[in-house]
Amino acid sequence: MRWLTDPITTPYMQRALVAVALLGVAGGLLGAWIVLRRLAFFAHAAGSATFPGLVVAGPWGIAPPVAALGAGLAFAGLLSRLTRRAGTGADAATGLLLAAALALGSVLASDVYPSGAGVDSLLFGTLLGVSDRDLWLAGGVAALALFSSAALARTWLATGFDPSGAPALGLDAARGDRLLLVLLAATVVAALPAVGALLVSTLLVVPAATARLLSGSLRTLLVVGVALAVAEGVVGLLLAYHLNLPPGPAIAVVGGGLFACVLAARTIARPREVVA
Amino acid sequence: MSVSAPARARIEVSGLAASYAQGPSALRDVTFSALGGQAIAVLGPNGGGKTTLFRALLGEIAVVAGSVAIDGHTAYVPQTERARLDFPVSALDVALMGAYARTPWYRRVAENDRRLALDALARVGLEDRPRERFGALSGGQRQRALIARALVQDARVLLLDEPFAGVDRISEGAIMEMFDGLRAEGRILLIATHDIEQARRWDRVLCLAGAQIAYGPPATTLSTEVLEATYGAEIVVLEDGTRAIAVQHHDHAH
Repeated sequence: MRWLTDPITTPYMQRALVAVALLGVAGGLLGAWIVLRRLAFFAHAAGSATFPGLVVAGPWGIAPPVAALGAGLAFAGLLSRLTRRAGTGADAATGLLLAAALALGSVLASDVYPSGAGVDSLLFGTLLGVSDRDLWLAGGVAALALFSSAALARTWLATGFDPSGAPALGLDAARGDRLLLVLLAATVVAALPAVGALLVSTLLVVPAATARLLSGSLRTLLVVGVALAVAEGVVGLLLAYHLNLPPGPAIAVVGGGLFACVLAARTIARPREVVA
Repeated sequence: MSVSAPARARIEVSGLAASYAQGPSALRDVTFSALGGQAIAVLGPNGGGKTTLFRALLGEIAVVAGSVAIDGHTAYVPQTERARLDFPVSALDVALMGAYARTPWYRRVAENDRRLALDALARVGLEDRPRERFGALSGGQRQRALIARALVQDARVLLLDEPFAGVDRISEGAIMEMFDGLRAEGRILLIATHDIEQARRWDRVLCLAGAQIAYGPPATTLSTEVLEATYGAEIVVLEDGTRAIAVQHHDHAH
């Protein structure tokens, strides 16, 4: 029992638990749309692209969320330019910019602004670093994700289901897509302190991908996605506390393990069905 | 509102030229008119301008010359392969999408629209499968679910993009019968196809190859000259001179 009570009574863990629960709400809801719209690689790359921004935030005296957002927007701008103007495929362009962002961040962190062990926290998150601002940000994106999921679900559903037909339904598909990407960027920035630049997918992709295996309807996908994101976040944090790990990898292990178990159970129960 | 008693529709297109953003005209010199009850085949090769015409009629791309006047709500029915089959939506969910534009963001879809969607599904012969996942339906059933969506939109002009692609013969017959019913209600059907035999079945045929080649009743319009102008070297004219087959690969890059 002390395994559970010790961390819960520790103030910094309480803050981390609240943050990860709020991020679980945002990640679970948004994750459903990310998985349905096949934006998982983009979400992962957007998280990693914030790394150079986080490295220069301290030395340049910029608030880390602002620096991360700046780096994320630069990534989005370059991606758009590469795919539209240069004709590079979206996947290839995303992979290219992901590698460039990680390389730039590594060079900056090792040679220009030596950050030492701080790099681990930027890449994989930390239990100790959850500030008031981080909590407010996490609460903000949770509220925004709840509101958007209610207000835009129909536009996102119709656009994702049939992109060519959605505008003729009288829906503003382009605006819906822009808002989805803005919300994705905000959630990535909010998730950085908890899970790090390299592992935002643990909150934004893994729970929803597991929920997708268990859900036949959008409603269950959203509900199960949120429940899994919160549960995996909390269990992962407890694991991180006891094993002295950064929270990102611990949550990733819990989420990845659960995905594998659900997939195995489903395959045994329905061996012939192809997983979509 | 009802899915079965729309007012008479009308389309007048005169000297239409349309283009995608900052590009040259993708389609030009299109002039035709249609009245409620008519079905018009829009015939041409891939890249000939069928989808461009539909997008111009929907107001999604710029009309750079000429005019378009449409009396009646217009709906687009995509090819079933363009819809995502792995999406967690049922046939009823798809039909309900036709009511999204009139549903405020803060409300659930109205009970009346739910009834309309169920009526529309019954109308297209899917009354026993409203809960069936869209991806689990056959090609013909998926096409019918998408037509139900257009009926829930209360569309009097239906723009159908290759409605028989991926549809078996039995479903094709059922869909043809349904089209007859929709025409009898005063709706206009524009049916994009690259299949010349298919085009012969409808009231009028509009031949497109970057520009309008011809428009009129199939019997007088589908001459060897018109077909050669529409399809270029890809056309094969059989011995009796009346049957022709367009030889081309079908892809989705219109």
